[in-house]
Amino acid sequence: MFRYFPEQASAHAADVDWMNNIITDLSLFFTVAIVGAMIYFAIRYRQRNGKDHETPRIEGSHTLEMIWTIVPTIVSIFLAYYGVVIYQQTREVPENALRITAWGQKWFWDFEYEYKDEAGQSQVKKIGGKDVEWVVPVDRPIKLVMQSRDVLHSFFIPAMRAKKDVIPGQWSYIVFTPIKTGKYPVFCTEYCGKEHSNMMASLRVVSEAEFDRWLKDRSAENALAGMSPSARGKQLYTEKGCNACHSLDGSRLIGPSFLKVFGKKESLQDGTTVDVDENYIQESILHPNKQIVEGYAPVMPSYDGQLGPDEIAGLIAFIQAQDGSAPVAAPVAAPVDDGWDKLSPLERGEKLVKAKTVPACTSCHSLDGSALVGPSFKGIFGRTAELQDGTSLVVDEAYLEESILNPMAKIAKNFAPAMPPVYGTQLKEQDVKDIVEYLKTVK
Amino acid sequence: MSAYSAAGEANAKPNYLNHEKGIWSWLTTVDHKRICLLYLFAILIFFFVGGMAALAMRLELAKLYGTGQHNFIDAETYNAMFTIHGAVMIFLFIVPGIPATLGNFLLPLMIGAKDVAFPKLNLFSWYIYMVGACMALFGLLKPIGPAFMEKAMNFIGVHGPVDTGWTFYAPYSIETGTSVVWMTAAAFVLGFSSILTGLNFIVTIHKLRAPGMTWDRLPVFVWGTYATAVIQTLATPVVGITLLLVIMERGFGVGVFNPKLGGDPVLYQHLFWFYSHPVVYIMVLPAFGIVGEIIPVFSRKPIFGYKAVVYASVTIAVVGFLVWAHHMFVAGISEAAAIYFSVVTFGVAVPTAVKVFNWVSTMYRGSIRFNTPMLYAMGFIFLFMVAGTTGVYLAVLAVDVYYHDTYFVVAHFHYTIQGGAVIGLMGGLYYWFPKMSGKMYNETAGKVTWFLVFVGFNLTFIPQFALGMEGMPRRYYDYLPQYQNLHQVSTAGAVINALGYTLALLNLGWAAVFGRVKAPANPWDSLSLEWQTPSPPPHENFEVTPVVTGSTYAYGTPVRGDAAAH
Amino acid sequence: MSASHHATAAEVGPGDPPHIHHMDTPTAYQSAKLGMWLFLATEILLFGGLFTSFALYHWAYFEEFHHASKELNWVYGSVNTVVLLFSSFTAALAVDAAQRGDSRRCSKNLLITIACGFLFLIIKGIEYTGKYSHGLFPGTERWNSPEFIQEYKMYFGLYYCMTGLHALHVVLGMGLLTWVYLKARKGRFSSRYFVPVEVGALYWHLVDLIWIYLFPLLYLVG
Repeated sequence: MFRYFPEQASAHAADVDWMNNIITDLSLFFTVAIVGAMIYFAIRYRQRNGKDHETPRIEGSHTLEMIWTIVPTIVSIFLAYYGVVIYQQTREVPENALRITAWGQKWFWDFEYEYKDEAGQSQVKKIGGKDVEWVVPVDRPIKLVMQSRDVLHSFFIPAMRAKKDVIPGQWSYIVFTPIKTGKYPVFCTEYCGKEHSNMMASLRVVSEAEFDRWLKDRSAENALAGMSPSARGKQLYTEKGCNACHSLDGSRLIGPSFLKVFGKKESLQDGTTVDVDENYIQESILHPNKQIVEGYAPVMPSYDGQLGPDEIAGLIAFIQAQDGSAPVAAPVAAPVDDGWDKLSPLERGEKLVKAKTVPACTSCHSLDGSALVGPSFKGIFGRTAELQDGTSLVVDEAYLEESILNPMAKIAKNFAPAMPPVYGTQLKEQDVKDIVEYLKTVK
Repeated sequence: MSAYSAAGEANAKPNYLNHEKGIWSWLTTVDHKRICLLYLFAILIFFFVGGMAALAMRLELAKLYGTGQHNFIDAETYNAMFTIHGAVMIFLFIVPGIPATLGNFLLPLMIGAKDVAFPKLNLFSWYIYMVGACMALFGLLKPIGPAFMEKAMNFIGVHGPVDTGWTFYAPYSIETGTSVVWMTAAAFVLGFSSILTGLNFIVTIHKLRAPGMTWDRLPVFVWGTYATAVIQTLATPVVGITLLLVIMERGFGVGVFNPKLGGDPVLYQHLFWFYSHPVVYIMVLPAFGIVGEIIPVFSRKPIFGYKAVVYASVTIAVVGFLVWAHHMFVAGISEAAAIYFSVVTFGVAVPTAVKVFNWVSTMYRGSIRFNTPMLYAMGFIFLFMVAGTTGVYLAVLAVDVYYHDTYFVVAHFHYTIQGGAVIGLMGGLYYWFPKMSGKMYNETAGKVTWFLVFVGFNLTFIPQFALGMEGMPRRYYDYLPQYQNLHQVSTAGAVINALGYTLALLNLGWAAVFGRVKAPANPWDSLSLEWQTPSPPPHENFEVTPVVTGSTYAYGTPVRGDAAAH
Repeated sequence: MSASHHATAAEVGPGDPPHIHHMDTPTAYQSAKLGMWLFLATEILLFGGLFTSFALYHWAYFEEFHHASKELNWVYGSVNTVVLLFSSFTAALAVDAAQRGDSRRCSKNLLITIACGFLFLIIKGIEYTGKYSHGLFPGTERWNSPEFIQEYKMYFGLYYCMTGLHALHVVLGMGLLTWVYLKARKGRFSSRYFVPVEVGALYWHLVDLIWIYLFPLLYLVG
């Protein structure tokens, strides 16, 4: 009874479960025995006909009390002993353990794998971000060494029966040997703020050979770390969707253009002025609505917790570089790869929505119903949309097309007019149609 | 029932409720019985507030419109809700819950004294409690309204409801923008109230026992309150200084707990749990005492193994101070420390088990009446068995690593605190209600509402054990779809539970105000002192100072070989 | 049990215990003392949290704490130690005088004790001002400069917390003793009733005792 544990995916899971099941069985036995005795006494010795019967003045029994002090003590010693022994096994790090570093940050996990390439050079593979999938080989002990970049987190893989707090300024570790390939959820179990419940990752256990291929495959990897700060900033500028609101060519979008902004004196909404320097930019990224430039609306979401110090430094360097000396190439959709036409309209639409547009539609419109900068795409087609001007309409092809090409025309209620009017030049007519087709299917 | 009213009519002398009139006489009273009612009134309001926060959480977690999205409240509100639920229930409801209400009322009566040792200090403690409660409310406010209002609220440090959880773990509590300062300062002030109450009780028990009321004749409730008072006095200052340091860190950048300033967040946890583990015994030891009073009376038997029960209370109080880091097995303490704290934790498990055995044995060959207090006491034994055995999982190192910070802990904790302390408090309120109010409550309504509470409670938390076993972490606003069914059952249980408490308390409230059945001095035929004076008691408790000549539990017919003992 | 209970207000003369409705004089005396001892225990534990933190970081950042402690002026610390020790002595004298029923000597000694408290606070104030002008206070230029490392901030943070909380206790103790002094001046105490003087002095000894630990820890050992 009461066996609810997830599957046993690590070498020590069986021991932990054995211990757990023994406690369960003992608990059930004692609970049933004691509560059973209580109910039996209650029925057997109930007062009858509203009159007390004679009761003996029994004040205790040394023998009984000795028994029920000693028996729980022995059971306790047994449980404590095995608890310690198994715990120590789960914390022992074998010599051949694969060492992986993990960083916790509000609200995602980053992983670093160090390995030697063919030339014997030490290389680092970094992956991370929200819902990241990290990969380990099966049947090899894994030692995950962890630290937090901000507040307390805790790393929990239920299937591996492994958990440890992740602390800022201190290293901690978990160790486990996966015995089954598969995909397992990873949770953060120490409360860490607003998105605590979304601070997830998944662990994929694969064969040694597949792991090796994965590890050495650097093509998919985001090579941000190796870039110069301004190059990193440039990449982040599109990746994080800055380009949705800040142009590089001086044109006015939702927010101020980045062209020649660095070093400028900006007048703020509250009447003061500010020098646009490193600190102002950092402050504007982390707490965007504290110092709003006059004439702009306070609509920017905070990137606090989403960008590390290196990334902020990159953006600062990138913004600094926009001094007008280099010609600005307007961002365009990624070049169409071969076989694009062979894809179905739906597949093309999906690719456009998720990746091929700049900025990607999904950086502001979720697919899961959550409200980001713009309305979610979930169930958008056929929905009745209330507009800012108080009218409402049913979302059809025409409205979707209009919203893509001319975003300011009809703004949905409770949303800011924040969508950049850049897709008219970026997308071909067929692309727009494909996107609409895809959006119809997002339910 | 009619037999009671006839006996009640004779009692026309002024009692503590009517010997002085007017709101002022209540606000300036130094009578421990009236102070009990002041506390009772306040804590029940906060019980309601905390309960509403819990229902808001449960409603969201039912995810009636599907997981992965916002249903009724958003993530920030949810985080504020579990903080409000925890902080209000712990600091404002259950810590003062039994000691300051029933303890205040009964302690002097049970030992045959006229009042506590420092009656003015007792009233002062209530005022400190109310000041702390108001400060806590500041920690729950959201600055809204016109701009100047918002500015004014920000100026006094009100930035929105606290979202740290009731544990205020650093460094999150140092970084978050919410009104942590108000809430921690409130906990500090409330702690001061708790210390003064505990100190008052210790001195009262030591110095004001009636002639013949020797230590080995003290009712077990008094022992429970005594053990509690020791913990209140000795543990609370440590959390006080800890929370003060959090305030200093937020205000002045003293970096004791903040790793960015060279501090150690694990030190915070040590200092916090040094208080907050013993605090669970503050909550539950008096409840042990209540059950220890109810069962002998309704079984017509002496409490089985009085000495063992008393030693167990004292042992739990003492050992309770030595086990705090079992809350931190995965938090970065050394392996050696983890082993020590795991093993010592069993030192609490054994005396707790002994107590349960003794309660059940008391019923053996008794003459058992099933009045509402007895139902609560029996319910308590079952719930506490579950609480105790699930506590074993959390004491065993290998298994705790898995369960730590999952719903299993949430369920275990609620079985000890709600199933233990709150059910104990409810049983105690029903048991002593005739004494406190001078009226009888409706027995049928009492039993029906007990049933609702009992079923609702189990329905709420048994699924949470299963959730914890499946790996569901606590303090999650949202979860993977696989956990949804159990969450929905739990929510249904919570609604029934809330309904049960509301009706059970309304039953008492109704009887106190509109009830017409007067209570006799001793409706349950108890032998302890508080029942040997009229209901409600006169202002001075006893007309003449009682002289105690025998055990409080001399129920039943002496058996052979026992005569020598007394 | 109710010996004092029969005394009406008219029968209570100066120097007699006040009318306490629920206990007799020896019980009241013992209760007050026990209560104060328990309260002192909580105070020790209150400071205990700070001492624990200090000990931990003193061990972790030994060099830095040593260096930072050099900024403290041991002369001020020593003078204050002498002042408090002396005030404890006069507080004890006040109790002795009260026990002998000498109200005049009792109030005189209480006054000296309170005055010593003032002196202590003044010296502490001079010290704090000096720290501020040396830039050893949060928000000053030196404090914010990169040379002023975290460990120094930790040291001074703890220094202000510990001495500040202690100073608060000095103020509270002075308040308590002032209340006792006013009673003494009205001749409320006698050899039969002097418990407020005794508990007031007990509290003052604790304030002294905590300083006796703070002084070497912060000024000398550092």
